[in-house]
Amino acid sequence: MIRALILALLIYLALIAQEFIPAVPFLGGSHILLVPLLFVYAALWLPFPGVLLFALYTGLLSDLTFLHATGDQVEIGLGWSMLFYVFLGTGLRLLQPLAPGGRWEIHCLASGLATSLLLLVQYLMVCLRRESFLLDGTILWQILGPGLAALLLAPAVYFFLRLFPGARWAPRAHKGLTS
Amino acid sequence: MTRFHLILLAAAVAIAVIFLGLSASTMGWWQSRFLDVSTPALQAGSAISGKISKLNQGLKSLDELEAENATLAAQNNELKATRQLTGNLEDENRRLRAALDYRDRSPFRLLPAQILSRDASSWWNTAKINRGFAEKVDAQQPVLTAEGLVGRTTTVAKDVSIVLLLTDENCRVAARIEGTNEQGIVSGRRAAGNTSPELVLNFLNRDANIQPGMKVFTAGVSGAVFPAGIPLGTVKEFRTRELDGQAILEPAADFSRLEDVFVVLGTK
Repeated sequence: MIRALILALLIYLALIAQEFIPAVPFLGGSHILLVPLLFVYAALWLPFPGVLLFALYTGLLSDLTFLHATGDQVEIGLGWSMLFYVFLGTGLRLLQPLAPGGRWEIHCLASGLATSLLLLVQYLMVCLRRESFLLDGTILWQILGPGLAALLLAPAVYFFLRLFPGARWAPRAHKGLTS
Repeated sequence: MTRFHLILLAAAVAIAVIFLGLSASTMGWWQSRFLDVSTPALQAGSAISGKISKLNQGLKSLDELEAENATLAAQNNELKATRQLTGNLEDENRRLRAALDYRDRSPFRLLPAQILSRDASSWWNTAKINRGFAEKVDAQQPVLTAEGLVGRTTTVAKDVSIVLLLTDENCRVAARIEGTNEQGIVSGRRAAGNTSPELVLNFLNRDANIQPGMKVFTAGVSGAVFPAGIPLGTVKEFRTRELDGQAILEPAADFSRLEDVFVVLGTK
């Protein structure tokens, strides 16, 4: 419980911290997103009810941070990220049997994919709201760049989180959603 | 997946859907309260980020130091020679700088503010400033620098506000081109990034005589957020499209180095 609270605090701090990380020029000016990395770790570690709670918490904080209000219109309203993280967490929970006791490769790959998937979903929603669809090299970089950055950062985040006593995969986690 | 898991999943989805049903103003209220709670963390982050940035600027390689030393030695000799002549000019310069202080010469009531952080998302260009409704900042107020328009406030908390930057596709400003009757709408580009963004000025006449280097200002149409005459940028390129003309602008404000800005509270 204490470790889950630490992870929840880290997610809040990551949301604040990522605003101060400058865009990476060699990744097409992409931003580094830390929150999906932490959420993927939580989703691969916690039992299913915990994953869902974490998904709601992470989604709510992300939406509150990125809520883009123009006049009395909101582009991506409160709740969309919650839905995204709920389904992402459920999907990741299905991967748990692949990572008995925890495997950094799974976390690494899942972090990269989850980050790019989040940005892709956001972008599609923005296009839907603005009623026009554009796709060029810059936009592709904005989607794939943060995913690539997440792939590179994931091992470091994984081993950092493993330093916390008890923050390792629990034996019950091996059964995925069958438990 | 067991039935218990499915019930939990359905409950989580239902909670998310409840949030989705909230009105835009309620969502704004939640965001404002979240900003209130996050203000100390944002201020601490801004202070740490500033210190790291200064440290980076101070770090130079040995080669750079050697080159700088040679340049400084040459400049030193030159300065010795001109020192006698510049004594009076220095005083005059200081006086003129004070006279030209933007806040004083501006026709607006300006509230100085600092950029706390920039949005980490890829699709929106916003920044957080360290002023809120405690200093009479309200939503939809223009934000500018001495060089030009920066954007407008959206969500306002007690000590922090979110500014929708001019480089965002959703920040649309009525604009006119200096020395012509041409008017159009300036906005940012989608996924423009923070490093060297460009602006686009749409809905111009196809046969307009627009040359690179022309200045673009806010048009200040009736009921608009932005008053007339605030610099927006300089024309870099003009191209004709099927129905209208479009100019690409270099922003007047330097969006890659935004630090100090002013919120326009009204006119003097």
